[in-house]
Amino acid sequence: MSAASDLSVSLRDFSANVRAEGRSLVLCLSGNADMAAKDSLDSLLPRVHGEALRIGAADVQVDFRHLEFMNSSCFKSFVTWISDVADLDPSKQYKIRLVSNAEMHWQRRSLHALRCFAVDLISVES
Amino acid sequence: MTETPTAFELTFRPNVELISIVRRFVSDFYERMIEDRDTVSRMALATHELLENAVKYASDGVTFLSITFEPGETSSTVSIRLVNRANAEHIAALATIFEEMSRHDDPFAYYQIAMARSAKRKVGSGLGLVRVRAEGEMTMSHTIEDDRVTILAQTTVAARRSA
Repeated sequence: MSAASDLSVSLRDFSANVRAEGRSLVLCLSGNADMAAKDSLDSLLPRVHGEALRIGAADVQVDFRHLEFMNSSCFKSFVTWISDVADLDPSKQYKIRLVSNAEMHWQRRSLHALRCFAVDLISVES
Repeated sequence: MTETPTAFELTFRPNVELISIVRRFVSDFYERMIEDRDTVSRMALATHELLENAVKYASDGVTFLSITFEPGETSSTVSIRLVNRANAEHIAALATIFEEMSRHDDPFAYYQIAMARSAKRKVGSGLGLVRVRAEGEMTMSHTIEDDRVTILAQTTVAARRSA
């Protein structure tokens, strides 16, 4: 199973890394999550999910503040992850906290849509 | 907000890198024309998603993009139009997406339905056009002429006049 320090993606125009903070994981995203980032994100999020389960995380914080844009394919990666958490037995579920940047206007609608998809699991902070 | 109609047209073979370049151009350009940053963000999102759609489905790789901004007395209209050639299979798939969207009056509610469906998909997201409609707050239409597909996304912006 992955340790948090092994969970990172570094592409020319997109990067992601994970760190553990107590019983929480923090996933920081930056750059441009477009078609070029899709495969990496598809690979990363299940590993983040696995690590969250391994450490019995209370929550995973996803920091979007430095993410310039996310396309629908990458958005779908988050939808699948959230769906996987929602499908867990409630005793194993963890919360997902989405941290947004008010200057990135697309985030308001996209993150709201994710929150509505699993309102009991997702919160949005700015 | 500018009171002058603006438009640009681009015919090119989009790829992953060029799509983000065009999105950033749309954002930078229209931020100088339209005060409302939220509207500009929605335009950029719609442009990006529509171009990615074209990359996936254009049969010859060539896409025509046109964006117009038409100021009015009480509201202004933004139109984003993409034209490309597609094969019969993709034209049928596109028709299905538009037919489904037309059966759901509430774009956001349908977006949530599409997200639930997308969560279990192994290939593709099926969310691009639905996202443009819901998050972009755009009315969507399409026309087919032989193998030429035109997708039109439009939104209106309340006019703000300087005192």
